[in-house]
Amino acid sequence: MEHLDIADKSIAETNRALRDLIAEHDQVVIDNPHSSHNLGTALKGTGVVTIKGSTGYFTGGFLAGPTLDIQGNTGWYTGDNMSAGEIIISKNTGSNCGPSMMGGTILVRGSSGSRIGFAMKGGNMIVCGDVGRWAGYMTLGGRIIVLGKMGPEIGESMYKGIIHSVDPELQNKLGNNVAVIPITDEEKKEVSALFEKYQIEHPVENFKSVIPLKTGRKKYKIFNPTHLEIPQNG
Amino acid sequence: MDEKTNNMTSPKKAKKTTKVPNPDGLWTKEVRAEINHKAETGQHRVRGMGVNMRYPNFDDLLVLPAQLSRLSVDTYREPCVTKTVLGTRFAKKPLEIETPIMISGMSYGALGKEAKTALAKATQIVGTSINNGEGGLLPEERDNSYKQVVQILPSRFGFSLETIEAADALEIICGIGAKPGLTGHLLGSKITEEIAEMRQIPAGLDLYSHPRHGDIFGPDDMVLKIQELRDITNYEIPIFLKIAAGRVTEDVKIAVKTGADGIVIDGCQGGTGAAPVVALKNLGIPTLPALVQATRALEDMGVKDELSLIVSGGIKDGADVAKAMALGADAVAIGTGANIALGCTTCHQCHEGICGSGICTQEPKYRELLKCDAAERVANYITAMTNEAVIIAKAAGKTRLSNLEREDIRSVTLEACAMTGIPLVGTNYTFTERFGFC
Repeated sequence: MEHLDIADKSIAETNRALRDLIAEHDQVVIDNPHSSHNLGTALKGTGVVTIKGSTGYFTGGFLAGPTLDIQGNTGWYTGDNMSAGEIIISKNTGSNCGPSMMGGTILVRGSSGSRIGFAMKGGNMIVCGDVGRWAGYMTLGGRIIVLGKMGPEIGESMYKGIIHSVDPELQNKLGNNVAVIPITDEEKKEVSALFEKYQIEHPVENFKSVIPLKTGRKKYKIFNPTHLEIPQNG
Repeated sequence: MDEKTNNMTSPKKAKKTTKVPNPDGLWTKEVRAEINHKAETGQHRVRGMGVNMRYPNFDDLLVLPAQLSRLSVDTYREPCVTKTVLGTRFAKKPLEIETPIMISGMSYGALGKEAKTALAKATQIVGTSINNGEGGLLPEERDNSYKQVVQILPSRFGFSLETIEAADALEIICGIGAKPGLTGHLLGSKITEEIAEMRQIPAGLDLYSHPRHGDIFGPDDMVLKIQELRDITNYEIPIFLKIAAGRVTEDVKIAVKTGADGIVIDGCQGGTGAAPVVALKNLGIPTLPALVQATRALEDMGVKDELSLIVSGGIKDGADVAKAMALGADAVAIGTGANIALGCTTCHQCHEGICGSGICTQEPKYRELLKCDAAERVANYITAMTNEAVIIAKAAGKTRLSNLEREDIRSVTLEACAMTGIPLVGTNYTFTERFGFC
C-alpha cells in the first residue's frame, strides 16, 4: 500500500503522481486531501485509491477504471463524465453528482444535493440518504437508486434509463415525460446484487421505478396559461 | 341623383378609386405568412441557417492600399505568411494551421456523414481544422481531418475521454450566435438508428438538449473545469471558449479569467441546423461590433497578445478575413460558406432532413445527392478565400496576414464607423468611442 501526502502538492503534481502509483500498485492512500478540487481526474486501469478526508469539486472526473474510496464528503460534480470504475463516498456530496456519467458506479452513503445524474448516460448511482430536486434530469441511460426522500421534478425529460425510489410521494414529484411502474423481478435481482456488493441492507420489494415515456410524450409548452385549470382541492 | 354622384358615394366604387401608398405597410406578405402559421399551429416557426437581415458587416469597411507612405508587396512573387498558431497562452502544443480560416462546429446529425467527411477531407487539403460539433466525433471525420477541434457541449452526446484524447484543441460551448441561450434542436426525422447510437438517444424522438452544462454552473466552475481538462490532456492542447455575441465585453473578460487559451466569438449571423425564427432574428449582436468589443476587452486587460481570438458568423470571403484580422481576430471560422461550397442552396430547410444537396440530411437517397467533388470544392473555396485575404494584405504592404491592423481600414458607412470606432472614409473622425485612433 502506497501513501501519497498531498498537503503541499499542486493538483497537477497530485494527479500525475496518482496516475503513476495506480499503474504500479493495487492500493494507494491519499493523505491530507484538504478538499482539493479535480482530485483523481481521468484515472485508468484498476486498483483502489483511498482518500483520507473530504474532497472538493470534480472528484474523480473522467474516471475510467479504478475505485475511489472517499472517507469524507465530496463537493459538486463528483464523478463527472466517468466511464468506468467506482466512487464510494462515506458521507455526503454536493449537487450535480455524476453529471454526464457513462459507466461505473457512484455510491453515496449519505445524502446528495440537487440534480444527481444530470444528463447521465450509463452506470449506476446509489444514494443511501436523501436527494434534492431534478434527480435524473434528461438522463440518457443508467440506473439511479435513492433510498431516502427525493426532491421534485424527478426524471424531467428522461430519454432512457431508470430511477428506483422508495419515496412515498414519488407520484407527486415527477417531472415531465416519465411514468411510475412497479419494480420488476429482474430489476429486483439487479438491485439486490448491487446492494449485496456494497453491503447495503435495504429491502428491494418496496421500490418503484421511474421510466421515460416512449410514446405520448408531452409537447413542451413555453406559454402555459393556468387560469383555466381546475383546482385540485375544490 | 344622377349616376355620377351615385358612384362617388358608393363605398364599393370609393374603395376601387382610393390609392393607398405602400398598401402592405408593416403587414407585408412575409409578416402575414408568419401570423397565419402561428394562427394555424399555435407554434413559433423553426428553420435552419441564420438570420436574413442585413446588418453592418465587413463590407462596410474598406482597406487602405499602400502607395507612397508605405510600399505594397508583390502579389505573385513575394511571400505573405498565412500560417496561424492558436492557443499559445498555456498550451504546450498550440493549434498550427496553414490558413486562418477554420471550419466551425457542425454536428454529425445536422449534417450527413458524407458531408462531414467531405469537410474533413477539405481540411486535409488546405491544412486547417474542422470542428466536430454536437453529437460525437464521427470516425470518418477524425480519420480524414488535418486538425481536429472537439466541442464540449452541455448535452455531451457521444462525448467521452476518447474524443478528448483525439482532439488537437478543445472548444467549450457557452452559446452559438444563431440561437444564444437556447438548446440544441434535432428533430426526430433526422435521428436515424446510427445517429441515435452515436448520441446514445432513442431514434425518432424530437431532441431538445439543455443549454447549461451539467458540470459548469458558473464561471468559477469553468475555471475548475478548464483545469480538469488541462490535467486530462497533459497541459498540451489549447482550450477555447465559444461565446455567442451578446454582452461581449463582460463575457470576454470573464473568459480571460477562466484560464482559456482562446475565445471564439460567434456573431448573430452564424447559422444552425434548426432554431426558432424569433431567436435567429432577435437574439445576439452582429459579428462586426462583437469583434471590436472583444478586441477592446482583451486590450483593456492587457492580454490581447496572450489569447487567440477567433471570430465567426457570416464570414463569406477573403476580404472579410482580412478585415476581421485587421480588427483583432487571429482566425475566422466558416460554416454556412463551407456548406454553400458543398452545394447548399440556402433553402433554410435544414431542420427537415430532406436536403436536396445531400448535406443536412440522414436519408440515404438524399445523401447520395452530395456533389462528388464536394471536398475539393470546399478546399478550393478556402484556398481562394485565403488568396483574397493575401491579395488585400499585400496591397496594404503586409508580409504576414496577421500584420493587418486597424490603421489599415476605414469605415464606409456612418453605422460601421459608429459601431467600430474606425474613422469614416475621407476623414480622420470617428462618431463614437475611438478604437485605437487618437
